[in-house]
Amino acid sequence: MYGSVSLRQLLPLLALLVGGFVLPMFTNEYYLYLGNVLMMYAVLAIGLDILMGWAGQFAFAHTAFFGLGCYTTALLNIKWGIPFMVGMPMAALLAGAVGVLVAIPATRMRDIYLALATFAFAEGMFWVFNTWEPVTGGSTGLRIISSNVLGFKVSNDVTAFPVSMALMCLMIAAAMYLSKSRLGREMSAVRDSEHVAMSCGIDVRRTKVIAFGISAIYAGVAGGMFTLAQSFASPEQFGFNTAILVLTMIVVGGMGTLPGVLIGVLILSMLPEVLRTTMRSYQIWQELVYGLILILSIMFMPRGIWGSLAGYFVTRDSSTSTVKRL
Amino acid sequence: MSSMALYQSIASGIVSGCVYALVALSVVLIFKASDVVNFAGGEFVMLGAFAGLGALTFLEVPYFLAYAIAAVALFFLGAIFNKVVLEGVLKRAKHGQRTLVAMVIATLGLSYVIKGGVRLFSFTEEVRRLPSAFSGPPIFIGPVVMQWQDIAIVSISLALMLALYIFFQKTLTGKVLRATSQNPRAAALVGIPVQLMQLYSWGLACAIAGVSGVLIGAKLPVSPDFGGPIMLLAFAAAIIGGFTSLPGVVIGGILLGIIQNLVGITISSTAIAVTPFVVIMLVLVFRPQGLLGGRHRIKKV
Repeated sequence: MYGSVSLRQLLPLLALLVGGFVLPMFTNEYYLYLGNVLMMYAVLAIGLDILMGWAGQFAFAHTAFFGLGCYTTALLNIKWGIPFMVGMPMAALLAGAVGVLVAIPATRMRDIYLALATFAFAEGMFWVFNTWEPVTGGSTGLRIISSNVLGFKVSNDVTAFPVSMALMCLMIAAAMYLSKSRLGREMSAVRDSEHVAMSCGIDVRRTKVIAFGISAIYAGVAGGMFTLAQSFASPEQFGFNTAILVLTMIVVGGMGTLPGVLIGVLILSMLPEVLRTTMRSYQIWQELVYGLILILSIMFMPRGIWGSLAGYFVTRDSSTSTVKRL
Repeated sequence: MSSMALYQSIASGIVSGCVYALVALSVVLIFKASDVVNFAGGEFVMLGAFAGLGALTFLEVPYFLAYAIAAVALFFLGAIFNKVVLEGVLKRAKHGQRTLVAMVIATLGLSYVIKGGVRLFSFTEEVRRLPSAFSGPPIFIGPVVMQWQDIAIVSISLALMLALYIFFQKTLTGKVLRATSQNPRAAALVGIPVQLMQLYSWGLACAIAGVSGVLIGAKLPVSPDFGGPIMLLAFAAAIIGGFTSLPGVVIGGILLGIIQNLVGITISSTAIAVTPFVVIMLVLVFRPQGLLGGRHRIKKV
C-alpha cells in the first residue's frame, strides 16, 4: 500500500449507501430509474478509466464485456434460476477471463493497432449478440426476468436501487484501494512511460493484461446491474454508441481521476433528460450534441472538468502531467 | 457451388473492393500524415455520397460534376477540421503529453457531428440511392456478367489510384507530402511547411473519401448510418496493407471485397458482416506488419 484509503475518503460512500436504502421510500420512480442508469454507467466508466486513464491502453472492447456480463447474468437466471449474487459474479469473472484472453494478443500491439483490434473484437461480439438468436434473442432482444438478490425479488427500479447502490459503492471503494496499491501505481507507470516502467522492474505486459482483466470485470458487473432494473436487453445497448457514450463520460469528466469520471457520468447521463425537456425533437439533435461535446471538451479541456478544476486550484510544475489521484 | 457463381462473385468482389481500397487509402493517407486513425472516415464517405446526391437532385448537374462537388466539399471539410480542431488539440497539449488519444477522440466526435448534422436534413430520412452514371446492356467478360456501372466504378477507382501514384512519385508536392509523413521534424528542417502539408493531406484524403462515397452510393443504399460498415471494411483493408504501404492497401481492399463475397456464397450471408472483424483480428495477431510489410517496425520515435 502506498498510503491507504482513509476513513474520511470512505465516508461519502457510506452516505451514498445509506441513501441507497432510504431514497426509494420517498422518491418517485422516474428519479430512481435515472439513478439506476447512472450507477450502472458509473461502474462501466470506472472500468474503462482503469484501462484507459490509469493503464493508458486505448481500447474499445469495453461494451463487449458489458454485454457479456448482462447476457450471462440474465441467462444464468432465466435458464437455471441461479440467484443474482452467484450469477453476477460468475458473469463478471467470465467477462474478466475473456478480457484477459483478448489482452494477451492485444497487448503486443500499441496505440492505434490496439484500438483497432479491440474495436474489431467489440464489433464481433456485437455481431454475436445480434445473430445468436437461440441464446441472446438476436436483434429482437432478450426478456429479462426478475432476479433473486439474497432472497429478495428485484424486478423494478425501486427494488433495484439499493442493490445497484451497494454494488456501485463496492466498485468505487475497490477502485480507491486499487489506486493506492502497487498494481495501481504500476499501471500509471506503464501509462506514463513503458520504457521507464520496464527499467524499474515492472512487468509491462503482465500489468496491461491485469488492467484489461480488471476493466472487463467492472464492465461485467455493470452488465449484471443492467439486469436488475431493466426488463429487456437488446444488442444495440452493447454497441458502438454505448462505447462512445462511456468514452465521452471519461473524457468530459477527466480521464484517470475517480471524481472526474463520476462527474462525467453524472453530466452525460443527465444530458438526455435535459435535452428532452428543453428541445422538442431531441432525438435528431442527440448525435450532433454528443459529437460537439466530445470535440469541444477534448479541444478546450483535454484533462476534463476535474483536471481543469485541479489545474486552477493546484499550481504545479508544468512538466508533470499526472493529476493528483483521489 | 458452380464455377460460374464463383467467378461472378469474385468479379463483384473486385468492384466493391476497389471502393474499399479508395476509402482505405484515405484512412492511410491521414495516418501517414498525422499519425491519427480517422474514425470519421466512414462519415466522410457518407457525406460525399449525400453531396453527390444533392448536387444531382437539386442542382441537376452532370454526373462528372457530382464527383467534383463531393471532392471539393470534402477537401475543405477535412482541411478545416485539421486546421481548427486537430491543431487546436496539439496547441493546447502540454509538452510530452500523448496527443494521439485526444486526436482519435476528436475524429470520433467529428463522426458524430457529421452523422447528426446530416440527420437534420429531412432529405436524408429516406434511404436513397444515387442514379446510375452509366447505363446500357450488361457486357460479358468470359463467363462473368458486368454492369457498365461496375466497370465505371473499377475504372474510376483505378484511375484515381494511378493519379495518386503519379502525384506521390513524380510531383514536387507529392514528394514533399511523403517527406512530411516520413519524418515531420526533418521535413521542417529543410523548410517544408509541415502544418500546411498536413492540411493538404487531410483535404486530399477527405476528397478521396468523398469521391468513393459518390461511387459506392450508386451500389449501396445511402443513409446517414451507412458510413460505419464501410469504415470497418476500410480499416480491415488498411490493416492488410500494414497501414503504411499504399499498394498494400489497394491489394488489401480488393482482397477484402473478394473474401467478403466468397464468405457470402460459401458460409452464409449473415457471416459477411463479421468478415472485416475476423480479418482485422487475424492479420493483427499473425501478421501485424501487413501483407507487404517487411520487418515489423516498432514505432517511429
